[in-house]
Amino acid sequence: MARRPANGQAPAQFALDVRGLTTSFYVGGKWFPAVRDVSFALKRHETLALVGESGCGKSMTAMSIMGLVPKDAGRVKAEAILFEGQDLARASEAKMREVRGDGISMVFQEPMTSLNPVLTIGFQVSEALRHHRGLSRRDAAARALHILDQVKIPSAKSRFNDYPHQFSGGMRQRVMIAMALACQPKILLADEPTTALDVTIQAQILELLRELKRETGMAMIFITHNLGVVAELADRVAVMYAGQIVEIAEVAELFARPTHPYTEALLRSIPRSDRDTAELYTIPGQVPPITRMPPGCKFADRCAYRLDRCQAEEQQLAPLAKAPAHAVRCWRRTEETQPEMVVVDA
Amino acid sequence: MSAVADPGLPAKTGRALLIAQALKAFRANKLSSVGVVIFLTVVVLALLAPIIAPHDPLEQNILHRMEDPSAEFWLGTDSYGRDILSRLLYGARISLFIGVAAIGSAMLIGSTIGLYAGYRGGKVDAVIMQAMDVLLAFPALILGLVIVAMLGPSIQNLIIAISLTAIPPFARIARAPTIVVKERDFVEACRALGFNDTRIMLLHVLPNILSEILVMGSLWLATAIRVEASLSFIGLGVKPPTATWGGMIREGFEKILDTPWLSVFPGLAILLVVFSLNLIGDGLRDVIDPKTRTD
Repeated sequence: MARRPANGQAPAQFALDVRGLTTSFYVGGKWFPAVRDVSFALKRHETLALVGESGCGKSMTAMSIMGLVPKDAGRVKAEAILFEGQDLARASEAKMREVRGDGISMVFQEPMTSLNPVLTIGFQVSEALRHHRGLSRRDAAARALHILDQVKIPSAKSRFNDYPHQFSGGMRQRVMIAMALACQPKILLADEPTTALDVTIQAQILELLRELKRETGMAMIFITHNLGVVAELADRVAVMYAGQIVEIAEVAELFARPTHPYTEALLRSIPRSDRDTAELYTIPGQVPPITRMPPGCKFADRCAYRLDRCQAEEQQLAPLAKAPAHAVRCWRRTEETQPEMVVVDA
Repeated sequence: MSAVADPGLPAKTGRALLIAQALKAFRANKLSSVGVVIFLTVVVLALLAPIIAPHDPLEQNILHRMEDPSAEFWLGTDSYGRDILSRLLYGARISLFIGVAAIGSAMLIGSTIGLYAGYRGGKVDAVIMQAMDVLLAFPALILGLVIVAMLGPSIQNLIIAISLTAIPPFARIARAPTIVVKERDFVEACRALGFNDTRIMLLHVLPNILSEILVMGSLWLATAIRVEASLSFIGLGVKPPTATWGGMIREGFEKILDTPWLSVFPGLAILLVVFSLNLIGDGLRDVIDPKTRTD
């Protein structure tokens, strides 16, 4: 990707600019990177989807940006994580606490356990406002009630003093979203917010997120392994494999021309109602364990288009000649002018 | 988001609602209501002692030594002719005060230590809890004995001694659930909202472990009254002639074969209070759990 000036402020069109993020974990006496050299820029008002299978480092990327990687087990290094003129990679813990929940918020996967069971939802939604904005109990409660209305909790007023166990999973996820949005953050990190929910509820939550994003103008990083959700919600997609971004492109471009062999294989693995196939495509092999990463391309073992070069040398994330906004980490594909096959018709 | 006029809050919020729910849950548990009635009766009687006591608890009356219960002395008199009922009422003030003060401070200090150690984990936790284990290695009575022997018998020293013996159990009882609670997703969610450790500990972890601490507190209050009685019984408690329940049992014990009520009545009083506190402890669990509170 094109390099931007290293020490300056993020250009104004970026809500977040992550450069060279590497997060390592201490396993059996050595440090192993779970996220390696991840760089991306999130534009204002944009929804960027981070896609990949379990353990590919997508959640860890979000946790690293938030500064929530446990210090005793993990180590986060980055050239820069620029947010509103501050470098979060070098910010103190106190500074990070100011940013978290105020400038950047996060919604988690598990609505059933992410709420405190002994506190009312009214209290929990108000709390961030009281903490970050210093609002009085009354003002914070009034504002919290407004937000609960906004996330469409039915009869929010009468449910204000209810406890989490009195809510369903979908409603709890709405409460979680209300908590995250209480302080009107610039960026929302949504870490698989619909994975634990029923399909119908998933659709409702996605619709809600889309609506809230339109109303508030915040930018969003949406972490998921569900490509259907990506197509529905995202503006741009970054595909992650073994801790690296292997492909990043506009959503239409990615679905039309999946260029990295992994992306291509992922798209072929989606069950489709408009195709008459007896068997679902699966990617052979498995992700190499964090402790035994091969030196070259991490996907080479499972790749049908493997060259000798792939296993020896690592390719950088490089823009395609024909589409500069579309970058791919693959020797073969960046050298070819055109991908060999189009798997999914646009 | 546009500013919207205050949509109006529910009538009851925060503390008022909590208290209303708590009272309702407590009333639902009949036995603990009985416990509260007994305990409050004892407290009120103790507070009203100067008004309702028929005699001066210290007044000796050589003509009425060791008398059986009568219209004049409802519970009889002791070997100095002092009225047992009056001494019981005044003794309740001291015994309850020592218990509440000692356990109150032990609960505060002990659970703060346990909460902090459990939340921080690692070396901090190891050092703190090993220090607690050293204290815990002594039986409560022995430790209390040593402390009182060192400081000298007085109400204040008795409180310090009992409280010191009760701190380690409270630290342990607070630490164990803290370790479980701090790993739960909502604590991570709190961090993601930018809350600092103090806020997470006090507002999010503490309410989740409060039931354990309070139930333990009600049980240890009973223990404290017993320990006070035991220390007074072996002469290391409050100095005579001040009336305490433990002291009265000891005095009566010497003559237990001739006039058993000297020991029996203060013994019954301790039994009653301990019993009521155990019942209360049972009900407290229901009050604190929002599931039973809101059903």
